[in-house]
Amino acid sequence: MVESASPASLVSQPVRPDDPVFVARKLCRTYGSGAATVFALRDLDLDIMAGEFVVLLGPSGSGKSTLLNILGGLDAPTSGTARWRDHELTGSSEADLTRYRREHVGFVFQFYNLIPSLTVLENVQLVAEIAENPMEPRDALSLVGLEQRLDHFPSQLSGGEQQRVAVARAIVKRPDALLCDEPTGALDVETGKLVLQAIDRANRDVGATTVVITHNSAIAGMANRVLRLAGGRIVGEQVNQRRLPPGELDW
Amino acid sequence: MTLLDRKLLRDLWSLRAQVITIALLIGAGVTVLVGSVGTYTSLVANQDRFYDDARFAQVWAEVERAPRSVVPRLSEIPGVGVVEARVIRDVRLDWPQSALSVAGRIVALPSSGQTALNRLTLERGRWFEPGRSEVLVSAGFAETWSVQPGDPIRVILNGRLQTFSVAGIAYSPEFVYASRPGNPLPDDRTFAVLWADEDAVAAAFDLKGAFNAVAATLAPGASEKSVLAAVDAVLDRYGGRGGYGRRDQPSHRFLSDELAEQRTLALTVPTIFFGIAAFLLNIVLARLVEAQREQIAALKALGFPSRPIAMHYLKFVVVLCALGCAGGVAMGVWYGHGMLNNYRPFFRFPALIYEMPAPAPLIAVLLSVAAGSAGALAAVRRVLALRPAEAMRPAAPAAFSRAALGRRWRPTTKMALRGLAGRPVRSVLSVLGLAMAVPMIVMGLFWWDALAFMIAVQFEGVDRADAVVSFTDPVAGRAAREIAAIPGVLAVEGQRVVPVRLRAGPRDYRVGLTGLSAGAQLRVPREQDLRRVPVRPDGLTLTRGLAERLGVGVGSAMVVEALDGKRPAVAMPVVALADELLGFNAYLDIDALNRLMREGDRISQAAIRVDPARASAIWRSLSERPRVAAVAVKSVWLQVFDEKIAGMVVVSAVVLTLFGLIIAVGVVYNSARIGLQERAWELASLRVLGFTRGEASGILLAELAVQMLIAIPIGLVLARQLVATLLELRDNESFQIPVVISAPTYATATLTVAFAALGCALLVRRRVDRLDLVAALKTRE
Ligand SMILES: Nc1ncnc2c1ncn2[C@@H]1O[C@H](COP(=O)(O)OP(=O)(O)O)[C@@H](O)[C@H]1O
Ligand SMILES: [Mg+2]
Repeated sequence: MVESASPASLVSQPVRPDDPVFVARKLCRTYGSGAATVFALRDLDLDIMAGEFVVLLGPSGSGKSTLLNILGGLDAPTSGTARWRDHELTGSSEADLTRYRREHVGFVFQFYNLIPSLTVLENVQLVAEIAENPMEPRDALSLVGLEQRLDHFPSQLSGGEQQRVAVARAIVKRPDALLCDEPTGALDVETGKLVLQAIDRANRDVGATTVVITHNSAIAGMANRVLRLAGGRIVGEQVNQRRLPPGELDW
Repeated sequence: MTLLDRKLLRDLWSLRAQVITIALLIGAGVTVLVGSVGTYTSLVANQDRFYDDARFAQVWAEVERAPRSVVPRLSEIPGVGVVEARVIRDVRLDWPQSALSVAGRIVALPSSGQTALNRLTLERGRWFEPGRSEVLVSAGFAETWSVQPGDPIRVILNGRLQTFSVAGIAYSPEFVYASRPGNPLPDDRTFAVLWADEDAVAAAFDLKGAFNAVAATLAPGASEKSVLAAVDAVLDRYGGRGGYGRRDQPSHRFLSDELAEQRTLALTVPTIFFGIAAFLLNIVLARLVEAQREQIAALKALGFPSRPIAMHYLKFVVVLCALGCAGGVAMGVWYGHGMLNNYRPFFRFPALIYEMPAPAPLIAVLLSVAAGSAGALAAVRRVLALRPAEAMRPAAPAAFSRAALGRRWRPTTKMALRGLAGRPVRSVLSVLGLAMAVPMIVMGLFWWDALAFMIAVQFEGVDRADAVVSFTDPVAGRAAREIAAIPGVLAVEGQRVVPVRLRAGPRDYRVGLTGLSAGAQLRVPREQDLRRVPVRPDGLTLTRGLAERLGVGVGSAMVVEALDGKRPAVAMPVVALADELLGFNAYLDIDALNRLMREGDRISQAAIRVDPARASAIWRSLSERPRVAAVAVKSVWLQVFDEKIAGMVVVSAVVLTLFGLIIAVGVVYNSARIGLQERAWELASLRVLGFTRGEASGILLAELAVQMLIAIPIGLVLARQLVATLLELRDNESFQIPVVISAPTYATATLTVAFAALGCALLVRRRVDRLDLVAALKTRE
């Protein structure tokens, strides 16, 4: 966990190694029961520091999405604890989790999850409206390079453009945590890089603690830290001395 | 079981709430269809059977007094079948149980037993024995007063009190609907039909060897008109009062009116009701199928041909319809039984049996399957027409117009509005579907309004007397002053009613022509807007229904033939039309009528107003007067009206209201549920973004609220239209129902639908609360 020496890092917010924001202990998530029990997560321990950019790698079915959903307050573990700073993520009421998501978390998903009946700008405004200290929605869209497409509907955009809207929508609230589940999964290389750039800037400029799921190990170069999952456990950890800007990634 | 069938079962299970509400919707439509059609066909079947079994006559004539020797001349008339000459007289009963005078009609039967025509059916007891002063009593009267065989019954025959013993209780085809002459509604409390030995009756009325009434059948193919003319010609010199056919036979006239009414109701109400149910079924299933668009596309992409896919959805429709129809037919039989039971006190048939018309359930099944599959298959076809790749994506949010919405709206509001505007056809159909729920309820409730209005108009506006006293024969005008002298009588107005035949060209109608004095206050013909219609000496005032029946209007020339006294005939124009709700009436100035009759100042009845505190004493005193035939008391009348007509209407109104509610809930619930199904993914995404449950469901509920706000006014307008159409289609001369819908009815319908919507909204809200957020992220839908 060393600060990047790249020019971009000069303006970025530093990782604070002594300030863990996500803390998970003995996290288990099972589906089904008896002989048919599926362990999505097994006794997983995890600490993520403020401002850190973490990439989760692992084969399909290894529990990445399950972990991310629990961190995002979308799912609850079967046992174990997880918390975001002073927010308990386990055993909290639905209303508390909603408030947590609303105040702290930005999501980007593989399937964009944009609202088809709202324009690009409106999709971003949607979230800005319920945030406490949002950016100007147009600025968020400039960050992802979509300032020219404000009035288009999602159906009029390419997949990459839609995903960039999703990123803008996620960062417009200046989230404390940015959680991305295979944000480039449905995109080609070049488009994927644009999306990753947007996520990277959000991490550096907004200071959002960022967790990105991918099964593309090339993306790992962007991260401060790379965690490998298999069978619901963390099986490997790699700390990057230098974070590569997305443009330099080689995939 | 194929995999698709397994999918079918799982779909049915997972959509069970919708399946139940849709099946109920179909069931409600089928119930009304089977119930009312069954009631109608049962009444007709019972009537036919009874008329056949009893050999109900086809023509009747009344005469002052004709010798029996005339009978063969009647039989010889070409076209006449069997002739039966009889003695029939109106009498009064001495019936102390009743506070009001009880009128009777005594029909003489040959001592030999059954007649050839108009045969009686014994309900209880036995035939009377000649020479023993025994009578048979009509079933309605017997039931009302619990008359048993063996009971005594005292009758005033031509001024002499005579005691008979009740031998049996009987039904007659001539008195299926037993009403006192001049009364438009049956009243078993104050009217009895008695059948007694010919010799006894004829002797009492000095009609031995003579007759005063005749009934006959027609030979096949004979013309009723020419037979009646020939009968009139034969009877003329004996004081013939004119012959008439079944159409003018009082019991038959009312019965056929009621059957015509039932036919209209049996056809229109279920048609409207079922039509709406079918329309809703169509919409609901179309949306249900459309919500499975991605699945259908995927099946097609997997290589399924269109036919099994269509079959799959067809099966879905058939299962729904089978569920609905099975319940509906069972309920319909129950409803039909109930309706028919309501007619029992009205129409005295020996047995009133409910018979379900065999084709009704079949038609119900076919129509509902047709309506449902039309909706479902059209939707399947729409989806199959798309390329799978396109169809597998959620339906394109169509023509969202950027300019249409100002920037100031909140994004969530825009979502709701675009949800409506993005699919205009569907939105219009949903709104129409929701709107239809309103008339469903109004059609049930408005009957109360109509009845209340009718009672107000008829009994407060037109018929303002507390009672009408009728005399056995026309009496001198001073009889009115004698009645006025009874303590407690506040006002008396003499009236003259003369049975006449009104002719207008080829059409004619037998009616009581009522003579009213110029300033009459107790009987006031009125127009619909309650304006007074003048009664004039120079022409007739007809009620609108009668004018229509005769095809005349103001200014038309008419011929008035009196059927009483010297039976004068005179030409006279129609000078005014009045609107009345009950029966057909004709009015003329009383002096003009008396001049026409050449009998001097006579009255045949008196309308009176009394001090309510002394009413019963007055009724008693009046009933005891020798020349008083009957006292028709308005309050009793109103009670009869309430019990019978209202009772009859109210049952169907309650059922219709209930079913209207079921349909309303069915539509609103499905509308909201499918709306949720279509937007679940979007709403789950919002929840992920940190929107609360309230905010997420708010979008859906706002959409529903907007639809309701548009739908309810449309529904109210539709309701009025449908009620007007319904009343237009029914044509019942004894009972005319105005299009009156009160504000409370509109309000009740509105609130009911609104509350149904609210309830459904809450159910849907609960579903939004339980949306699976994680699942929404894994796939698009
Ligand atoms: N709703 C569910 N029901 C049953 N098993 C599930 C469900 N969701 C996920 N799983 C299982 O949990 C495991 C982890 O899933 P997930 O976290 O989605 O994996 P990935 O690493 O590919 O994101 C998988 O084996 C998956 O089959
Ligand atoms: Mg995953």
